[in-house]
Amino acid sequence: MDEQAALNVVGQNVRRVDARAKVTGEARFAGDLSVAGMLHGKVLRSPLPHARILSIDATQAEALPGVVAVLTGRDLSGRLYGHAIKDRPIVALDRVRFVGEPVAAVAAEDAATADAALALIAVEYDELPAATTLDAALAEDAPLLHKDTPLSAGLFHGLGEMKAQPGNICYHHSIVQGDAASIFEGAPPAPIVVEGEYTFPAIYQYAMEPHTVVAQWEGDGVTVWASCQHPFLVRAELADLFELPVSRVRVVVPYLGGGFGSKSYTKMEPLTVALARKAGRPVRIANSVGEAMVTTRRHNMRCRMRTAATADGQLLAREARLWMDTGAYADNGPRVVATAADAAPGPYRWQALAVDAWGVYTNTPPAGSYRAFGATHLQWIGESQVDEVARRAGIDRLEIRERNLLRPGEQVRPGGKPLDADLVGDVRKIAAHLDWHAPKPPDVGRGLGVGLLAAGAQPVSTALVRLEADGTATLLVSTTEVGQGARTVFSQIVAEELALPIECIRVPGGDTQVTPYDRSTGASRSTTLAGLAVQRAAREVRAQLLAIAADCFGLPPAAIALRDGAVWHEDESRSYPDLFKYHFGMVGGELIGRGEVRPERGKESYAAGPVFWEVCTGGAEIRVDRATGRIQVLKLVSVADVGKAINPHLVEAQEMGAVMQGLGNAIHEEMVFENGQILNPTLLDYHIPTIADLPDSFCSLLVENGDGPGPYGAKGVGEGALAGVPAAIVNALADLGIIVHELPLTPERIWRALKTEGD
Amino acid sequence: MLAPFRIHEPTTVRDASRLLLEHGDAAAIYAGGTELLLLMKDGLVHYPHLVNIKTIAGLDQVALQDENGSRTLTLGPLLTHRALARSATLREQAPLIAQVAERVANARVRAAGTLGGNLCFGEPHSDPATLLLAWDAVMELTSTDGSRRVPAISFFVGLLQTARQPHEVLTSVAVPLLPAHAGAAYEKFALHERPSVTVAAVVYLRDGAIAQARLAVGSVGPTPLRIGEAEEALAGDRPAESAFSHAAALAARTVSPVDDLYGSAEYKRHLVRVLAARALSAASEQAARRERA
Amino acid sequence: MSDMTGTSDPQVLLSGEPSGEPLEERPRLPITLTVNGRPVEAVIEPREMLLDVLRERLGLTGAKRSCDVQVCGACTVLLDGLPVSACCTLAYEARGREVLTIEGLACDGRLHPLQEAFIDCTALQCGFCTSGMILTAKSLLDETPHPNREQIRAALQGNLCRCTGYWNIIEAVEQAAQAEVQGG
Repeated sequence: MDEQAALNVVGQNVRRVDARAKVTGEARFAGDLSVAGMLHGKVLRSPLPHARILSIDATQAEALPGVVAVLTGRDLSGRLYGHAIKDRPIVALDRVRFVGEPVAAVAAEDAATADAALALIAVEYDELPAATTLDAALAEDAPLLHKDTPLSAGLFHGLGEMKAQPGNICYHHSIVQGDAASIFEGAPPAPIVVEGEYTFPAIYQYAMEPHTVVAQWEGDGVTVWASCQHPFLVRAELADLFELPVSRVRVVVPYLGGGFGSKSYTKMEPLTVALARKAGRPVRIANSVGEAMVTTRRHNMRCRMRTAATADGQLLAREARLWMDTGAYADNGPRVVATAADAAPGPYRWQALAVDAWGVYTNTPPAGSYRAFGATHLQWIGESQVDEVARRAGIDRLEIRERNLLRPGEQVRPGGKPLDADLVGDVRKIAAHLDWHAPKPPDVGRGLGVGLLAAGAQPVSTALVRLEADGTATLLVSTTEVGQGARTVFSQIVAEELALPIECIRVPGGDTQVTPYDRSTGASRSTTLAGLAVQRAAREVRAQLLAIAADCFGLPPAAIALRDGAVWHEDESRSYPDLFKYHFGMVGGELIGRGEVRPERGKESYAAGPVFWEVCTGGAEIRVDRATGRIQVLKLVSVADVGKAINPHLVEAQEMGAVMQGLGNAIHEEMVFENGQILNPTLLDYHIPTIADLPDSFCSLLVENGDGPGPYGAKGVGEGALAGVPAAIVNALADLGIIVHELPLTPERIWRALKTEGD
Repeated sequence: MLAPFRIHEPTTVRDASRLLLEHGDAAAIYAGGTELLLLMKDGLVHYPHLVNIKTIAGLDQVALQDENGSRTLTLGPLLTHRALARSATLREQAPLIAQVAERVANARVRAAGTLGGNLCFGEPHSDPATLLLAWDAVMELTSTDGSRRVPAISFFVGLLQTARQPHEVLTSVAVPLLPAHAGAAYEKFALHERPSVTVAAVVYLRDGAIAQARLAVGSVGPTPLRIGEAEEALAGDRPAESAFSHAAALAARTVSPVDDLYGSAEYKRHLVRVLAARALSAASEQAARRERA
Repeated sequence: MSDMTGTSDPQVLLSGEPSGEPLEERPRLPITLTVNGRPVEAVIEPREMLLDVLRERLGLTGAKRSCDVQVCGACTVLLDGLPVSACCTLAYEARGREVLTIEGLACDGRLHPLQEAFIDCTALQCGFCTSGMILTAKSLLDETPHPNREQIRAALQGNLCRCTGYWNIIEAVEQAAQAEVQGG
């Protein structure tokens, strides 16, 4: 079947299939669920950034009426978990490594009792010197966070061999191409060298639903209802921690109230499962926002970068050294560091590259995934240097990109997937939308930026389509509906392939007992990879229908078409229910199709990837109130380079959300730490963009070049637009002569930059 | 979950005051709860006895009074920010107070939070406190001992501290109406939920000169402050940008901000200077317009 | 969790299980209120928040707990038609008053114009802010049937959404306003 032949459902702005449930309050999230006998769990957390635990006395807490169990490290085997590096205990064992680390947990009949019991647990600490900043952690005599923990690699980092690192280094990734030193320091040295040191803040993802888990042991197995993005990876870690076969661990995922990476991998599940086991009854633990902030965050980072170019703006070499603060435990740190390293060069043709990226342990809450990690961290830096090169070379900032950007098919990183997007076309569209060459008022700054994000994670996904005797279908797939609209997009694919109305397709949520293996929901991979599995599963059912019809009509399958829930040959048709009766000899039976996606043999490694390069680009026009430093965002524009938009409205919706998060990352958001303590752990002092923070105008430009590896030529979206915003705004500021090397671009930082300029 | 408490429902101010006396430290007045409950949820304070004053009738009125030729608005303490914003009388007689009320926090806080609760809580970042300080409002405090009046300039005593004694209830806020040749303006700068800097200015003109000016700066210290030095400097000056600039510079020098999540001390001083100049200029312009009208 | 369908007889709910302190030290209070048009009788502790009574005891889980400091609006319900943060409103305050939650918006299975418009305009993604957002928009339309964009923004400024970027929400409110005018 010709992929691009008349599509009926794919490409349409079909209404979200979960919208009705969500506007009526019927949609259930993990915190809305309860099971019989369920207890309420609360967590006692460390008040110190680094300390030995001398003793824990929970006798008073245990004696409180209504308290069923108190869990401490004594109740645990001491096994560590972590999908990249197994460095994390379920609750602190002999020491605490960050303010907020779980030390004990209480299960009680109601939340009030659980709360009251926490206050009755007496913990004796012996405080240790703490390394709560990058500088402190990298110092010669820094206290070491994991010196007694031998490196135990986790199973799911996909980064090849995990090597032990010195001091507080968690992970190191480097890219070397050519001889960068000779270009920077050679004789003669490069005519243009732009150099700088930059800082990126710790940021809180703020999925509006904080982490929530319900755990119930039954017989020799456990069921977990969790707000998690990757149920199969969580299942594997729970199975390992509690020494169970995976088939005895069931992870059920209801709707998630946002993920954005904050619910990637394993978070509160092991603790809840352990507490439920001790209590002998089901337990629900729901993080508060303050607790969510100490469960995961975005890495803060320091970066030194320099860019060398010829006098007329041809890029020659880039060198970057960056340190990412991964907090007390690795979580997804290694992958974030690797992706940041990948993003440091930007999508350009270089003669030489030298990138060194380190993940560093500090006594702060663990950092993990957040939308567009790596790219958001580096793009604003790299792109601001490209702009500076353009200024010094005396050429237009769009022109320098047209000249130096990679073209489709060119190598992005050695051995990896070549570029699969028309970046020049994308950046030209941004420029056109900004009316790039038109004169503008002197107080308006215009900027743009472009980059790439290594997307797709690991390409392992399966799906099952069950076609029923009444012509309806159930799609079993383990993609988590975090709000992106996966269930809708997949329904469209099945509807397309099986010529069924969308209302006839049901997509229940992920349940590892029922829905087949999908590696994860994140890294913009679901439409591309899980969607491909869905398409293959649907096509398998399609092939079965055609084979049955062929038999029924006495014709070759090629002579038969599917349309409107029936098989057709010219004017003759048989509905699917009729076909089922023919095939099964009764009103019943089922046709099942299976779709699988897995990597090409020999191409499983991180270096051989990524699955696709997600385009990260953005443009901005701004004004600055020079008296206060406040930025007024006049225009924001992004490009959704998606190969094929299965649902254009949902693509645009993703872009809009990503851009506002990008604005938050760029201008408003910063977790402020002091001695490892978060000073702004509530939304009173951590500003999430509101409707009042919208730019005057926003536009997402859809680009469909059919160049994705997903169904119908699709590739993922949803992260690139976020990464593009800080870059565009930083460059728009520089256009006004305002240079800032530290995010977020708060009014005070802008004001200080203006003062320095004026001095 | 909060620790347990009882809620008392007095129907008179006298009864409320008696309850407060009886329970002392263990009691707090409970009106909208928009500040109190947050504090209690944090576990920072606990009151086993909440004295609900919403059960007392008559404390939610806006009344226009003519006393000895001077016109005053009295505002009941139980008026929510929302009610203030929508009061026809207030919008007509002192529209800025209604406008500022409409910008307090968010719609839900405005629906429940009260003027009295806001003022008595003594939160440094309060919009109404800054505004009413510049407005020279007078707070009436009532208890079993009777009533007394405290001008705004003596009302805000310290961080989360006002002149209200624990057994007193704020029963009205008297706001003098501005004469025809006076104008008022309010400026605020906010990064977070609570503003970083709040400035209120009231300017009276006579014969083309500033007869009197009042300037209050809030959010940058434990209480809002009247900047006497700036007010003195403005008296008699022509209403020009240079005068406002000079007064604003004095205000910036007078306040003692600290470095915190709302900004560095240096930046806050700078904002005070910018906003004070803007507020004085706007108030003066309004006075001139009203004079002409 | 109780079932809100069925007759309109008052439903009597007892407070939860003991929580540590002896019974006589935990004051309790019988209250009656109207929730989504139905009378409800409950014996509550004064310290209970409206959000928890709605969610845990009445099974109305549409209002969500998110920031818990009355900033985000995910817990918004209408109390006598006005939006309040249920996470910071004592259940006590609802005595003798009318509470409207998202579950009470549809009428006989017919969605409210706002609900239709939110679906139509893709004004939601994860859905966690949606109940609060819709109810706040309803209180706006109840007071201002023809709001302009400025008014819509001002009314919704206190409702956070992390997924949608707000544009579609503004459009949905505009669409709902038009539909209501047309009697849709």
